Amino acid sequence: MKKEYQIFTPDIKNLIENKEIKLTIKDLNPGTSKYGAKIVKAILASDSSKLPDGDVLHVRSWIGALYPQTWAIKIIEELDETEPGIPHGETIRAKK
Amino acid sequence: MAFKDLREFIKLLNKTGDVVHIREEVDWDLEIGAIGRHAYEIQAPAQLYEKIKDYPGHRVFNGSLGTFRRVAIAMGLDPNTSVKQLYKEYEARINSPIKPIVVSDGPCKENIVTGDDIDLFKLPVPYIHEGDGGRYIGTWAFEVTRNPDNSWDNWGMYRFMVHNKRYMVGWPRYSSHLSMVLHGKYVPQHKPMPIALVLGSDPLCSMIATAPIAINANEADYAGGLCQEAVKLVKCETSDLLVPVNAEIVLEGEILPDRTVQEGPFGEYPGYRMEGAKDGVLVRTKAITHRNKPIFTIISLGVPPDDSSIAASLTAALAMKRRLLKHNLPITEVFVPPIGVTHIVVVGVKRGGNEVAKQIKDVLTARRADVNKIFVVDDDIDPFDFDQVMHAFATKCHPIRGIFCEEVEPPKGNALTPCYNAKERRAYKGAIALIDCTWPPELDKITSVPMKNSFNIMFPPALKDKVLANWKTYGFKERKKEKK
Repeated sequence: MKKEYQIFTPDIKNLIENKEIKLTIKDLNPGTSKYGAKIVKAILASDSSKLPDGDVLHVRSWIGALYPQTWAIKIIEELDETEPGIPHGETIRAKK
Repeated sequence: MAFKDLREFIKLLNKTGDVVHIREEVDWDLEIGAIGRHAYEIQAPAQLYEKIKDYPGHRVFNGSLGTFRRVAIAMGLDPNTSVKQLYKEYEARINSPIKPIVVSDGPCKENIVTGDDIDLFKLPVPYIHEGDGGRYIGTWAFEVTRNPDNSWDNWGMYRFMVHNKRYMVGWPRYSSHLSMVLHGKYVPQHKPMPIALVLGSDPLCSMIATAPIAINANEADYAGGLCQEAVKLVKCETSDLLVPVNAEIVLEGEILPDRTVQEGPFGEYPGYRMEGAKDGVLVRTKAITHRNKPIFTIISLGVPPDDSSIAASLTAALAMKRRLLKHNLPITEVFVPPIGVTHIVVVGVKRGGNEVAKQIKDVLTARRADVNKIFVVDDDIDPFDFDQVMHAFATKCHPIRGIFCEEVEPPKGNALTPCYNAKERRAYKGAIALIDCTWPPELDKITSVPMKNSFNIMFPPALKDKVLANWKTYGFKERKKEKK
Protein backbone atom coordinates (compact mmCIF):
# COMPACT_ATOMS: atom_id res chain seq x y z
CA MET A 1 0.00 0.00 0.00
CA LYS A 2 1.48 3.30 -1.05
CA LYS A 3 1.86 6.03 1.55
CA GLU A 4 0.53 9.53 0.91
CA TYR A 5 2.21 12.86 1.49
CA GLN A 6 1.55 16.50 0.71
CA ILE A 7 3.75 19.48 -0.06
CA PHE A 8 3.14 23.21 -0.38
CA THR A 9 5.07 25.06 -3.04
CA PRO A 10 5.11 28.70 -4.14
CA ASP A 11 5.37 27.59 -7.78
CA ILE A 12 4.87 24.08 -9.13
CA LYS A 13 7.21 24.95 -12.01
CA ASN A 14 10.05 25.01 -9.49
CA LEU A 15 9.59 21.38 -8.51
CA ILE A 16 12.56 19.50 -9.90
CA GLU A 17 12.03 15.94 -11.15
CA ASN A 18 14.39 12.98 -11.14
CA LYS A 19 16.95 14.64 -8.89
CA GLU A 20 17.50 14.43 -5.15
CA ILE A 21 16.04 17.52 -3.54
CA LYS A 22 15.31 18.69 0.00
CA LEU A 23 11.71 19.47 0.86
CA THR A 24 9.17 19.62 3.68
CA ILE A 25 6.44 17.02 3.39
CA LYS A 26 3.25 16.59 5.41
CA ASP A 27 2.23 13.08 6.37
CA LEU A 28 -1.29 12.26 5.13
CA ASN A 29 -1.34 8.70 6.43
CA PRO A 30 -4.09 7.79 8.92
CA GLY A 31 -3.32 8.11 12.62
CA THR A 32 -2.83 10.75 15.24
CA SER A 33 0.36 12.10 13.67
CA LYS A 34 -1.42 12.89 10.39
CA TYR A 35 -0.39 16.28 8.96
CA GLY A 36 2.88 16.23 10.87
CA ALA A 37 5.86 17.61 8.94
CA LYS A 38 9.14 15.99 7.97
CA ILE A 39 12.10 17.48 6.18
CA VAL A 40 13.40 14.93 3.71
CA LYS A 41 15.72 14.31 0.82
CA ALA A 42 13.59 12.83 -1.97
CA ILE A 43 13.13 12.28 -5.66
CA LEU A 44 9.95 13.52 -7.34
CA ALA A 45 8.15 12.65 -10.55
CA SER A 46 5.12 14.37 -12.03
CA ASP A 47 4.09 11.04 -13.56
CA SER A 48 3.89 8.11 -11.14
CA SER A 49 4.85 5.64 -13.87
CA LYS A 50 8.30 7.26 -13.93
CA LEU A 51 8.78 6.42 -10.24
CA PRO A 52 7.02 3.06 -9.79
CA ASP A 53 8.37 2.41 -6.30
CA GLY A 54 7.43 5.90 -5.16
CA ASP A 55 4.64 6.97 -2.83
CA VAL A 56 1.78 9.36 -3.62
CA LEU A 57 2.46 13.08 -3.40
CA HIS A 58 -0.30 15.69 -3.40
CA VAL A 59 0.88 19.14 -4.40
CA ARG A 60 -0.70 22.30 -3.07
CA SER A 61 0.11 25.89 -3.87
CA TRP A 62 1.43 28.30 -1.28
CA ILE A 63 -2.18 29.33 -0.50
CA GLY A 64 -3.27 25.71 -0.12
CA ALA A 65 -5.04 25.14 -3.44
CA LEU A 66 -4.68 21.55 -4.66
CA TYR A 67 -3.14 20.93 -8.07
CA PRO A 68 -5.22 18.32 -9.91
CA GLN A 69 -2.26 16.18 -10.88
CA THR A 70 -0.89 13.75 -8.29
CA TRP A 71 2.90 13.36 -8.23
CA ALA A 72 5.10 10.54 -6.98
CA ILE A 73 7.75 10.79 -4.28
CA LYS A 74 10.55 8.48 -3.21
CA ILE A 75 11.98 9.45 0.15
CA ILE A 76 15.73 8.91 0.26
CA GLU A 77 16.28 9.98 3.85
CA GLU A 78 14.73 11.95 6.66
CA LEU A 79 16.79 15.01 7.55
CA ASP A 80 16.95 17.10 10.73
CA GLU A 81 13.59 18.08 12.25
CA THR A 82 14.30 21.80 11.72
CA GLU A 83 16.41 23.98 9.47
CA PRO A 84 18.90 26.80 10.03
CA GLY A 85 17.26 30.20 9.74
CA ILE A 86 15.79 33.01 11.74
CA PRO A 87 12.17 33.76 12.56
CA HIS A 88 10.52 35.98 9.90
CA GLY A 89 13.53 35.42 7.65
CA GLU A 90 11.60 36.25 4.46
CA THR A 91 10.47 39.60 5.85
CA ILE A 92 13.93 40.46 7.04
CA ARG A 93 15.36 39.58 3.63
CA ALA A 94 12.62 41.58 1.89
CA LYS A 95 13.53 44.63 3.99
CA LYS A 96 17.14 44.57 2.76
CA MET B 1 -16.86 37.97 37.90
CA ALA B 2 -19.76 35.61 37.27
CA PHE B 3 -17.51 32.56 36.81
CA LYS B 4 -14.05 31.42 37.84
CA ASP B 5 -12.95 29.52 34.75
CA LEU B 6 -13.96 28.30 31.31
CA ARG B 7 -15.99 25.44 32.77
CA GLU B 8 -18.19 27.78 34.79
CA PHE B 9 -18.57 30.01 31.72
CA ILE B 10 -19.83 26.99 29.76
CA LYS B 11 -22.32 26.31 32.59
CA LEU B 12 -23.58 29.88 32.19
CA LEU B 13 -23.94 29.34 28.44
CA ASN B 14 -25.97 26.21 29.24
CA LYS B 15 -28.42 28.32 31.22
CA THR B 16 -28.84 30.89 28.46
CA GLY B 17 -29.00 28.31 25.65
CA ASP B 18 -25.79 29.54 24.03
CA VAL B 19 -23.86 26.27 23.86
CA VAL B 20 -24.52 22.88 22.30
CA HIS B 21 -22.93 19.78 23.86
CA ILE B 22 -22.03 17.46 20.98
CA ARG B 23 -21.80 13.96 22.44
CA GLU B 24 -21.68 12.08 19.15
CA GLU B 25 -18.14 11.19 18.11
CA VAL B 26 -16.63 13.81 15.81
CA ASP B 27 -13.40 13.74 13.84
CA TRP B 28 -10.62 16.21 14.66
CA ASP B 29 -9.71 15.91 10.96
CA LEU B 30 -11.92 18.60 9.33
CA GLU B 31 -15.27 17.64 10.91
CA ILE B 32 -14.93 19.90 13.96
CA GLY B 33 -13.70 22.70 11.68
CA ALA B 34 -16.69 22.28 9.37
CA ILE B 35 -19.27 22.21 12.17
CA GLY B 36 -17.68 25.21 13.84
CA ARG B 37 -17.47 27.23 10.65
CA HIS B 38 -21.08 26.57 9.68
CA ALA B 39 -22.18 27.43 13.22
CA TYR B 40 -20.50 30.83 12.95
CA GLU B 41 -22.00 31.54 9.57
CA ILE B 42 -25.56 30.92 10.82
CA GLN B 43 -24.77 32.42 14.26
CA ALA B 44 -25.55 29.15 16.05
CA PRO B 45 -24.45 28.51 19.65
CA ALA B 46 -20.92 27.67 20.73
CA GLN B 47 -20.03 23.98 20.71
CA LEU B 48 -18.47 21.70 23.31
CA TYR B 49 -17.33 18.51 21.56
CA GLU B 50 -17.27 15.77 24.17
CA LYS B 51 -16.15 12.75 22.16
CA ILE B 52 -13.24 13.25 19.81
CA LYS B 53 -12.08 10.47 17.52
CA ASP B 54 -8.69 9.11 18.70
CA TYR B 55 -8.73 11.29 21.81
CA PRO B 56 -10.78 9.79 24.65
CA GLY B 57 -10.86 12.00 27.74
CA HIS B 58 -10.35 15.20 25.77
CA ARG B 59 -12.88 17.85 24.81
CA VAL B 60 -12.82 20.70 22.28
CA PHE B 61 -14.66 24.01 22.64
CA ASN B 62 -15.34 26.30 19.68
CA GLY B 63 -16.88 29.75 19.66
CA SER B 64 -16.69 31.08 23.21
CA LEU B 65 -17.05 34.73 22.10
CA GLY B 66 -18.48 34.23 18.63
CA THR B 67 -21.43 36.59 19.17
CA PHE B 68 -21.86 39.86 21.05
CA ARG B 69 -24.44 37.98 23.11
CA ARG B 70 -21.78 35.58 24.37
CA VAL B 71 -19.43 38.50 25.06
CA ALA B 72 -22.18 40.04 27.21
CA ILE B 73 -22.57 36.76 29.11
CA ALA B 74 -18.80 36.56 29.61
CA MET B 75 -18.87 40.08 31.06
CA GLY B 76 -21.66 39.11 33.43
CA LEU B 77 -24.21 41.31 31.63
CA ASP B 78 -27.67 40.68 30.25
CA PRO B 79 -27.21 38.57 27.09
CA ASN B 80 -29.33 41.12 25.19
CA THR B 81 -27.10 44.06 26.07
CA SER B 82 -26.68 46.30 23.03
CA VAL B 83 -23.34 46.51 21.27
CA LYS B 84 -23.09 50.17 22.17
CA GLN B 85 -23.64 49.38 25.85
CA LEU B 86 -21.07 46.57 25.67
CA TYR B 87 -18.56 49.05 24.29
CA LYS B 88 -19.31 51.46 27.16
CA GLU B 89 -18.97 48.76 29.80
CA TYR B 90 -15.75 47.43 28.27
CA GLU B 91 -14.31 50.94 28.15
CA ALA B 92 -15.19 51.63 31.78
CA ARG B 93 -13.62 48.38 32.96
CA ILE B 94 -10.47 48.80 30.89
CA ASN B 95 -9.98 52.20 32.45
CA SER B 96 -9.75 50.52 35.87
CA PRO B 97 -6.99 47.89 35.55
CA ILE B 98 -6.34 45.53 38.48
CA LYS B 99 -2.94 43.95 39.10
CA PRO B 100 -2.83 40.14 39.01
CA ILE B 101 -2.14 37.91 42.02
CA VAL B 102 0.58 35.25 41.81
CA VAL B 103 -0.35 31.91 43.39
CA SER B 104 1.77 28.80 43.89
CA ASP B 105 -0.46 26.08 42.48
CA GLY B 106 -3.79 25.49 40.81
CA PRO B 107 -5.86 23.61 38.23
CA CYS B 108 -3.55 24.01 35.24
CA LYS B 109 -0.91 21.99 37.15
CA GLU B 110 -3.08 18.90 37.61
CA ASN B 111 -0.99 17.11 34.97
CA ILE B 112 2.59 17.98 34.05
CA VAL B 113 4.30 16.43 31.03
CA THR B 114 7.98 17.05 30.36
CA GLY B 115 11.00 15.57 28.58
CA ASP B 116 10.58 12.64 26.24
CA ASP B 117 6.92 12.28 27.24
CA ILE B 118 6.05 15.44 25.31
CA ASP B 119 4.00 14.59 22.25
CA LEU B 120 1.83 17.31 20.74
CA PHE B 121 -0.03 14.66 18.76
CA LYS B 122 -1.52 13.45 22.05
CA LEU B 123 -3.65 16.62 22.08
CA PRO B 124 -6.84 16.74 19.96
CA VAL B 125 -5.48 19.48 17.72
CA PRO B 126 -7.99 19.90 14.90
CA TYR B 127 -7.17 20.11 11.21
CA ILE B 128 -9.55 22.98 10.58
CA HIS B 129 -9.77 23.83 6.85
CA GLU B 130 -8.97 21.54 3.94
CA GLY B 131 -5.68 22.74 2.50
CA ASP B 132 -4.28 24.27 5.69
CA GLY B 133 -0.57 23.67 6.16
CA GLY B 134 -1.09 21.68 9.33
CA ARG B 135 -3.04 21.20 12.53
CA TYR B 136 -3.45 24.51 14.30
CA ILE B 137 -2.82 24.28 18.01
CA GLY B 138 -3.12 28.02 18.52
CA THR B 139 -6.28 29.54 17.13
CA TRP B 140 -7.97 30.60 20.35
CA ALA B 141 -4.86 30.38 22.52
CA PHE B 142 -2.83 33.32 23.70
CA GLU B 143 0.91 33.56 23.98
CA VAL B 144 2.76 34.90 27.01
CA THR B 145 6.24 36.34 26.53
CA ARG B 146 8.45 38.72 28.51
CA ASN B 147 10.76 41.59 27.74
CA PRO B 148 13.88 40.69 29.79
CA ASP B 149 14.78 44.37 30.30
CA ASN B 150 11.74 45.52 32.18
CA SER B 151 9.66 42.42 32.92
CA TRP B 152 6.94 43.55 30.52
CA ASP B 153 4.72 40.49 30.18
CA ASN B 154 2.94 40.54 26.86
CA TRP B 155 -0.17 38.55 26.03
CA GLY B 156 -0.96 38.30 22.35
CA MET B 157 -3.03 36.04 20.18
CA TYR B 158 -1.04 34.58 17.31
CA ARG B 159 -1.50 31.45 15.24
CA PHE B 160 0.63 28.34 15.86
CA MET B 161 0.54 24.91 14.23
CA VAL B 162 2.00 21.54 15.12
CA HIS B 163 5.20 20.83 13.20
CA ASN B 164 5.88 17.44 14.82
CA LYS B 165 5.56 15.86 18.24
CA ARG B 166 7.84 18.38 19.95
CA TYR B 167 7.89 21.49 17.77
CA MET B 168 5.25 24.12 17.04
CA VAL B 169 5.64 26.80 14.43
CA GLY B 170 3.75 30.06 14.32
CA TRP B 171 3.44 33.34 12.61
CA PRO B 172 3.09 36.23 15.02
CA ARG B 173 3.27 39.19 12.72
CA TYR B 174 6.64 40.91 12.39
CA SER B 175 5.02 44.13 13.66
CA SER B 176 3.58 42.44 16.76
CA HIS B 177 4.75 43.15 20.29
CA LEU B 178 6.05 39.57 20.54
CA SER B 179 8.15 40.01 17.40
CA MET B 180 9.39 43.40 18.54
CA VAL B 181 10.87 41.85 21.69
CA LEU B 182 12.00 38.68 19.87
CA HIS B 183 14.00 40.62 17.29
CA GLY B 184 15.08 43.33 19.71
CA LYS B 185 16.22 41.28 22.69
CA TYR B 186 16.67 37.62 21.76
CA VAL B 187 17.57 36.99 18.10
CA PRO B 188 20.55 39.42 18.07
CA GLN B 189 21.93 37.70 21.22
CA HIS B 190 21.21 34.23 19.74
CA LYS B 191 19.15 33.48 22.85
CA PRO B 192 15.97 31.38 22.89
CA MET B 193 12.89 33.33 24.01
CA PRO B 194 10.62 31.68 26.60
CA ILE B 195 7.00 31.47 25.54
CA ALA B 196 3.82 29.88 26.90
CA LEU B 197 0.67 29.15 24.90
CA VAL B 198 -2.43 29.36 27.09
CA LEU B 199 -5.56 27.49 26.03
CA GLY B 200 -8.88 27.66 27.80
CA SER B 201 -8.30 30.37 30.32
CA ASP B 202 -11.50 32.26 31.08
CA PRO B 203 -12.84 33.99 27.96
CA LEU B 204 -12.12 37.53 29.15
CA CYS B 205 -8.39 36.78 29.46
CA SER B 206 -8.47 35.47 25.89
CA MET B 207 -10.36 38.57 24.79
CA ILE B 208 -7.78 40.91 26.32
CA ALA B 209 -5.04 39.05 24.46
CA THR B 210 -6.61 40.28 21.21
CA ALA B 211 -6.36 43.89 22.38
CA PRO B 212 -3.65 46.17 21.02
CA ILE B 213 -2.66 47.33 24.50
CA ALA B 214 0.23 49.80 24.68
CA ILE B 215 3.87 48.74 24.65
CA ASN B 216 5.12 47.98 28.19
CA ALA B 217 1.56 47.60 29.52
CA ASN B 218 0.70 44.20 30.98
CA GLU B 219 -2.45 42.68 29.54
CA ALA B 220 -2.99 40.78 32.81
CA ASP B 221 -3.76 44.11 34.55
CA TYR B 222 -6.44 44.89 31.96
CA ALA B 223 -7.82 41.36 32.18
CA GLY B 224 -8.27 42.06 35.88
CA GLY B 225 -10.11 45.26 35.03
CA LEU B 226 -12.35 43.46 32.60
CA CYS B 227 -13.03 40.62 35.08
CA GLN B 228 -13.46 43.19 37.90
CA GLU B 229 -11.12 41.15 40.08
CA ALA B 230 -7.45 40.22 40.01
CA VAL B 231 -6.48 37.43 37.62
CA LYS B 232 -4.63 34.61 39.38
CA LEU B 233 -1.34 33.68 37.74
CA VAL B 234 1.07 30.83 38.38
CA LYS B 235 4.70 30.37 37.35
CA CYS B 236 5.53 28.05 34.46
CA GLU B 237 7.46 24.83 35.10
CA THR B 238 10.33 25.64 32.76
CA SER B 239 10.56 29.44 32.83
CA ASP B 240 9.62 32.43 34.98
CA LEU B 241 6.65 33.29 32.78
CA LEU B 242 3.31 33.65 34.57
CA VAL B 243 0.13 32.10 33.15
CA PRO B 244 -3.51 32.09 34.31
CA VAL B 245 -3.87 29.34 36.87
CA ASN B 246 -7.36 28.45 35.61
CA ALA B 247 -6.10 27.58 32.10
CA GLU B 248 -7.14 24.25 30.67
CA ILE B 249 -3.82 23.64 28.88
CA VAL B 250 -0.47 25.45 28.94
CA LEU B 251 2.23 24.69 26.39
CA GLU B 252 5.60 25.90 27.61
CA GLY B 253 8.50 26.29 25.26
CA GLU B 254 11.12 28.53 23.75
CA ILE B 255 11.34 30.30 20.41
CA LEU B 256 14.59 29.36 18.72
CA PRO B 257 16.59 32.31 17.37
CA ASP B 258 18.48 30.34 14.74
CA ARG B 259 16.20 27.52 13.55
CA THR B 260 13.02 27.56 11.53
CA VAL B 261 10.55 25.48 9.51
CA GLN B 262 7.71 26.12 7.07
CA GLU B 263 4.51 27.53 8.53
CA GLY B 264 1.03 27.69 7.04
CA PRO B 265 -0.87 28.40 4.96
CA PHE B 266 -3.88 28.92 7.21
CA GLY B 267 -7.39 30.28 6.69
CA GLU B 268 -7.11 33.50 8.64
CA TYR B 269 -9.34 36.02 10.38
CA PRO B 270 -9.97 38.33 7.40
CA GLY B 271 -11.85 35.40 5.86
CA TYR B 272 -9.21 34.26 3.37
CA ARG B 273 -6.23 31.93 3.25
CA MET B 274 -3.08 33.58 2.03
CA GLU B 275 0.40 32.17 1.51
CA GLY B 276 2.36 30.36 4.21
CA ALA B 277 5.75 31.37 5.54
CA LYS B 278 9.05 29.76 4.64
CA ASP B 279 10.65 30.91 7.90
CA GLY B 280 8.11 30.48 10.67
CA VAL B 281 8.63 31.24 14.34
CA LEU B 282 9.74 27.89 15.73
CA VAL B 283 8.94 26.80 19.29
CA ARG B 284 10.56 23.84 20.99
CA THR B 285 8.04 22.54 23.51
CA LYS B 286 9.51 21.98 26.98
CA ALA B 287 6.43 21.16 29.05
CA ILE B 288 2.70 20.63 28.75
CA THR B 289 0.56 21.21 31.81
CA HIS B 290 -3.16 20.63 31.80
CA ARG B 291 -6.28 20.08 33.84
CA ASN B 292 -7.91 16.68 34.11
CA LYS B 293 -10.15 16.00 31.12
CA PRO B 294 -8.92 19.20 29.49
CA ILE B 295 -10.95 21.40 27.18
CA PHE B 296 -9.01 22.40 24.06
CA THR B 297 -10.21 25.80 22.83
CA ILE B 298 -10.32 26.67 19.14
CA ILE B 299 -11.96 28.94 16.63
CA SER B 300 -12.76 27.72 13.16
CA LEU B 301 -11.64 31.01 11.65
CA GLY B 302 -13.07 32.47 8.49
CA VAL B 303 -15.49 35.03 7.16
CA PRO B 304 -17.05 37.09 9.94
CA PRO B 305 -18.46 36.84 12.47
CA ASP B 306 -16.37 34.64 14.72
CA ASP B 307 -14.59 35.11 18.03
CA SER B 308 -11.78 36.98 16.34
CA SER B 309 -13.91 39.59 14.59
CA ILE B 310 -16.29 39.96 17.54
CA ALA B 311 -13.62 40.26 20.26
CA ALA B 312 -11.44 42.54 18.15
CA SER B 313 -14.43 44.75 17.40
CA LEU B 314 -14.36 45.82 21.03
CA THR B 315 -10.70 45.53 21.87
CA ALA B 316 -9.36 47.22 18.73
CA ALA B 317 -11.99 49.97 18.70
CA LEU B 318 -11.47 50.96 22.30
CA ALA B 319 -7.67 50.87 21.94
CA MET B 320 -7.99 53.21 18.94
CA LYS B 321 -10.36 55.48 20.83
CA ARG B 322 -7.90 55.77 23.73
CA ARG B 323 -5.12 56.74 21.35
CA LEU B 324 -7.26 59.34 19.58
CA LEU B 325 -8.43 60.87 22.86
CA LYS B 326 -4.82 61.04 24.08
CA HIS B 327 -4.18 63.31 21.10
CA ASN B 328 -7.13 65.53 22.08
CA LEU B 329 -9.05 64.80 18.92
CA PRO B 330 -12.80 65.62 18.99
CA ILE B 331 -13.94 61.98 19.05
CA THR B 332 -17.44 60.86 19.94
CA GLU B 333 -17.37 57.10 19.30
CA VAL B 334 -15.13 54.60 17.52
CA PHE B 335 -16.67 51.44 16.07
CA VAL B 336 -14.92 48.51 14.44
CA PRO B 337 -17.69 46.59 12.66
CA PRO B 338 -17.09 42.81 12.85
CA ILE B 339 -17.91 42.54 9.15
CA GLY B 340 -14.86 44.73 8.45
CA VAL B 341 -12.48 42.30 10.27
CA THR B 342 -10.46 45.21 11.73
CA HIS B 343 -9.70 46.44 8.22
CA ILE B 344 -12.39 49.12 8.64
CA VAL B 345 -12.90 51.57 11.48
CA VAL B 346 -15.61 54.20 11.82
CA VAL B 347 -14.69 57.28 13.84
CA GLY B 348 -17.36 59.71 14.94
CA VAL B 349 -16.32 63.32 15.52
CA LYS B 350 -17.90 66.40 17.07
CA ARG B 351 -16.16 68.62 14.51
CA GLY B 352 -15.17 67.30 11.10
CA GLY B 353 -13.23 68.43 8.04
CA ASN B 354 -10.15 67.19 6.24
CA GLU B 355 -7.74 68.49 8.84
CA VAL B 356 -9.29 66.53 11.71
CA ALA B 357 -9.72 63.45 9.50
CA LYS B 358 -6.03 63.52 8.55
CA GLN B 359 -5.01 63.86 12.19
CA ILE B 360 -7.10 60.78 12.96
CA LYS B 361 -5.39 58.89 10.15
CA ASP B 362 -1.94 59.93 11.41
CA VAL B 363 -2.66 58.68 14.94
CA LEU B 364 -4.15 55.38 13.78
CA THR B 365 -1.19 54.59 11.52
CA ALA B 366 1.62 55.86 13.75
CA ARG B 367 3.06 52.45 14.70
CA ARG B 368 1.21 50.04 12.48
CA ALA B 369 -1.73 50.13 10.11
CA ASP B 370 -3.79 47.01 10.76
CA VAL B 371 -6.79 48.99 9.62
CA ASN B 372 -6.70 50.15 5.99
CA LYS B 373 -9.94 52.08 5.62
CA ILE B 374 -10.93 54.83 8.05
CA PHE B 375 -14.40 56.34 7.84
CA VAL B 376 -14.82 59.65 9.65
CA VAL B 377 -18.41 60.72 10.29
CA ASP B 378 -20.11 63.72 11.90
CA ASP B 379 -22.03 63.37 15.14
CA ASP B 380 -25.40 63.22 13.37
CA ILE B 381 -24.35 59.72 12.30
CA ASP B 382 -24.35 56.76 14.67
CA PRO B 383 -21.00 55.03 13.98
CA PHE B 384 -22.54 51.74 15.19
CA ASP B 385 -25.19 51.86 12.46
CA PHE B 386 -23.44 50.81 9.27
CA ASP B 387 -26.47 51.81 7.18
CA GLN B 388 -26.09 55.37 8.42
CA VAL B 389 -22.33 55.25 7.77
CA MET B 390 -22.89 54.06 4.20
CA HIS B 391 -25.46 56.81 3.68
CA ALA B 392 -22.96 59.39 4.86
CA PHE B 393 -20.30 57.89 2.61
CA ALA B 394 -22.68 57.98 -0.36
CA THR B 395 -23.80 61.57 0.19
CA LYS B 396 -21.26 63.53 2.20
CA CYS B 397 -17.94 62.13 1.02
CA HIS B 398 -16.63 63.98 -2.02
CA PRO B 399 -14.97 61.53 -4.45
CA ILE B 400 -11.94 63.81 -4.78
CA ARG B 401 -11.93 66.11 -1.74
CA GLY B 402 -13.11 63.43 0.69
CA ILE B 403 -10.95 60.39 -0.11
CA PHE B 404 -7.22 60.29 0.62
CA CYS B 405 -5.10 57.27 -0.17
CA GLU B 406 -1.48 56.77 0.68
CA GLU B 407 1.06 54.05 1.30
CA VAL B 408 2.26 53.27 4.81
CA GLU B 409 5.90 52.62 5.51
CA PRO B 410 6.96 48.98 6.06
CA PRO B 411 6.62 47.24 8.46
CA LYS B 412 3.42 49.10 9.39
CA GLY B 413 1.32 47.24 6.85
CA ASN B 414 -0.96 44.39 7.88
CA ALA B 415 0.51 41.26 6.33
CA LEU B 416 -2.86 39.50 6.52
CA THR B 417 -4.67 41.93 4.22
CA PRO B 418 -6.07 39.96 1.28
CA CYS B 419 -6.05 42.88 -1.21
CA TYR B 420 -2.29 43.33 -0.89
CA ASN B 421 -0.18 41.11 -3.12
CA ALA B 422 2.11 38.43 -1.71
CA LYS B 423 5.22 40.57 -2.08
CA GLU B 424 3.60 43.47 -0.23
CA ARG B 425 2.38 41.17 2.52
CA ARG B 426 5.79 39.59 3.03
CA ALA B 427 7.46 43.01 3.20
CA TYR B 428 4.69 44.43 5.45
CA LYS B 429 3.95 47.15 2.95
CA GLY B 430 0.50 48.62 3.16
CA ALA B 431 -1.80 51.47 2.37
CA ILE B 432 -4.51 53.49 4.03
CA ALA B 433 -7.67 55.02 2.63
CA LEU B 434 -9.10 57.90 4.62
CA ILE B 435 -12.76 58.45 3.83
CA ASP B 436 -13.91 61.76 5.17
CA CYS B 437 -17.71 61.74 5.38
CA THR B 438 -17.95 65.00 7.32
CA TRP B 439 -19.02 68.44 6.24
CA PRO B 440 -16.13 70.86 5.86
CA PRO B 441 -16.18 73.08 8.97
CA GLU B 442 -15.94 76.23 6.83
CA LEU B 443 -19.41 75.58 5.34
CA ASP B 444 -22.00 77.90 6.86
CA LYS B 445 -24.70 75.85 8.62
CA ILE B 446 -27.45 78.32 7.77
CA THR B 447 -26.64 78.92 4.13
CA SER B 448 -24.53 76.02 2.84
CA VAL B 449 -24.71 72.72 4.75
CA PRO B 450 -27.42 70.64 3.06
CA MET B 451 -30.27 69.85 5.44
CA LYS B 452 -30.79 66.21 6.28
CA ASN B 453 -34.30 64.92 5.55
CA SER B 454 -34.71 62.63 8.52
CA PHE B 455 -37.48 62.20 11.07
CA ASN B 456 -35.20 63.39 13.83
CA ILE B 457 -34.13 66.59 12.10
CA MET B 458 -36.96 67.72 9.84
CA PHE B 459 -39.85 67.92 12.31
CA PRO B 460 -40.61 69.93 15.43
CA PRO B 461 -40.02 68.04 18.73
CA ALA B 462 -43.67 68.35 19.83
CA LEU B 463 -44.89 66.80 16.58
CA LYS B 464 -42.34 63.98 16.77
CA ASP B 465 -43.53 63.19 20.31
CA LYS B 466 -47.12 63.15 19.12
CA VAL B 467 -46.36 60.86 16.18
CA LEU B 468 -44.49 58.42 18.38
CA ALA B 469 -47.15 58.49 21.08
CA ASN B 470 -49.91 57.79 18.55
CA TRP B 471 -47.99 55.24 16.54
CA LYS B 472 -50.23 52.28 17.43
CA THR B 473 -53.35 54.43 17.10
CA TYR B 474 -52.41 55.09 13.49
CA GLY B 475 -52.66 51.33 12.93
CA PHE B 476 -49.03 50.28 13.20
CA LYS B 477 -48.32 47.23 15.31
CA GLU B 478 -45.21 48.60 16.97
CA ARG B 479 -42.44 51.09 16.43
CA LYS B 480 -39.47 49.89 14.47
CA LYS B 481 -36.88 48.59 16.92
CA GLU B 482 -33.75 50.57 17.36
CA LYS B 483 -30.80 48.90 15.67
CA LYS B 484 -27.91 47.70 17.81
